[in-house]
Amino acid sequence: MVEKIIKKSTRRSFLRQLSIILASIAGFLIFISFLRQFIPRISGTDRKIRLGKAGSFPLNTFTYIPEYRIFIYRDNSGLKAISAVCTHLGCKIEKIEKGFQCPCHGSCFSEKGKVISGAASKDLPWYRLFKDADGEVVVDLTKKVDSDYILEI
Amino acid sequence: MDNRIQRISRNFFLHIHSPKVSQGTLSPTYTFGLGLILSFLFLVMIITGFILMMNYTPSVERAYNSVKDIVFIVPGGRYIRNIHRWAAHGMVLIVFLHMVRTFLTSSYQGKRKINWIIGVFMLIVVLFMNFSGYLLPWDQLAYWAVTIGSNIAASARELTDILGITNFLDIGGFFKKILIGGENVGQAALTRFFMLHVIFLPLTLLILTGWHFWRIRKDGGLSSPQVHESTSHLAVKNDQRFYSWPVLMWIELAILLFITTVLILMALLFDAPLREQANPAFAENPAKSPWYFLGIQEIVSYSAFTGGLLIPLLFIVFLISIPYIDKETKYTGIWFSGNTGKKIVVFSVLFSFIITVFLVFIVIRFGWLKEWFDNVPGFIVMLVNPATLSTLLYISWSVLISRKTKSARMAAIALFSCAITGLIIYTATGIWFRGPNWEFYWSFSHWPVM
Repeated sequence: MVEKIIKKSTRRSFLRQLSIILASIAGFLIFISFLRQFIPRISGTDRKIRLGKAGSFPLNTFTYIPEYRIFIYRDNSGLKAISAVCTHLGCKIEKIEKGFQCPCHGSCFSEKGKVISGAASKDLPWYRLFKDADGEVVVDLTKKVDSDYILEI
Repeated sequence: MDNRIQRISRNFFLHIHSPKVSQGTLSPTYTFGLGLILSFLFLVMIITGFILMMNYTPSVERAYNSVKDIVFIVPGGRYIRNIHRWAAHGMVLIVFLHMVRTFLTSSYQGKRKINWIIGVFMLIVVLFMNFSGYLLPWDQLAYWAVTIGSNIAASARELTDILGITNFLDIGGFFKKILIGGENVGQAALTRFFMLHVIFLPLTLLILTGWHFWRIRKDGGLSSPQVHESTSHLAVKNDQRFYSWPVLMWIELAILLFITTVLILMALLFDAPLREQANPAFAENPAKSPWYFLGIQEIVSYSAFTGGLLIPLLFIVFLISIPYIDKETKYTGIWFSGNTGKKIVVFSVLFSFIITVFLVFIVIRFGWLKEWFDNVPGFIVMLVNPATLSTLLYISWSVLISRKTKSARMAAIALFSCAITGLIIYTATGIWFRGPNWEFYWSFSHWPVM
């Protein structure tokens, strides 16, 4: 098979094919590097945010923090942080009587963040909370935790 | 008359016309002048777009206020914006009708194949142009519609998640970053959409339009029953053909005036909406896309990946492949390909109407899998939902028709009619029957205050 091809090809046709292949590889690489111009280098996503003293959150309620689109829940045992962004298409979900509901396409989540109904396929993530040196509560949006995780106060 | 023909062929701008056109081309019930209307609307879009661009600033801080300035301060700005908006909506509506007309008169055969495919791409460009223009006012509607849109692009993640390769090959995230330049809609997205809306997409559409027109001439004018592939258009008898100047030009002028009148009336009567400034912290309830995307939004509410990517992609692939599936040239230029086709359209529309309404009814009345069983895995809902079921039923219906009639044309007509009917029903559901939290509300009932 290989011999057949070699016998058939003259030097000219071989060089022509070779240059076409090399030019395509070069073109593809240029295209890739061109494409990279359009993809942002995101560095600001690993964020740890100070939220204030634990006592500033009302008891037994989900408090919405609009800047970072999270809910902070506080009860007698401690604090928890859950995402307020629907896992379906990124709308801001709302607290309803039993859990959460998304206004855009109606996905419902339980208070544990589990999908109950609708098109969302993932559960709402919970985020790690810790206290900094001043005793302020800090949420770490890069670390996802179980729904049982709680920051004791 | 000869003098006019010479001037047509010598003049660059008049040369877009052929010296003579056939009777079928001029018949108003054959084309309804839809292509002409579209090109005039595009012209209106360019002119009004230039004026708007002069007063608009594409920055997150200024965009909303500059649109407000256009509406409240710039003399006549409100009406220019209204005309721009209604012409844009008109383009979406009429580009669809134009496609339906071209399909139902089977004007995609033989060498017209290329022009049909160009047309499909023009349809996509028009939709993207509308979508990109939607973000520019930077109001609540714009912000949340584009947030949803960019997350639809990212929903390829649902598939890569199932395959477990998201960490190495995040196609969804790649699309999203290319589209909006970040994780959330912000300045980068606005800059990108502005560039797309005022340079890239109009230029693409302009080039495609030129190509589209040139192909019509190359393919021997518009399709008509008289002109067959075997006979060149020159062979058609002269007495069935009219001089483009004046006959066609009078029609063009009439349509241009008609379009202008309609647009001015619309602009005077109906204002383009402008909500409060975009607020990333709070979503509107309900957050609805523009009406022409509400069909997709309805099926996206069943599953993001299948509704937003898979099914639209399948539909586009189907549109492009139509001339390759159906190679029969018998009925070119005849509405519905005759009486059998007419019957099949009626039955397909009826079939599609019944099953689609039934599936929507089930979702609204009884919910879907997640309400019925506990712990339904996400990918089951992704594969089995009203949108995929109706698509499957449309395809099986078309296969059935193909078996019965032994005609690829009839199968294509069946599938096309089903798909368009389904699209209309899902769109109508999204427009009139969805309220806060995307719950069902009768069209004119009052929504509760949220």
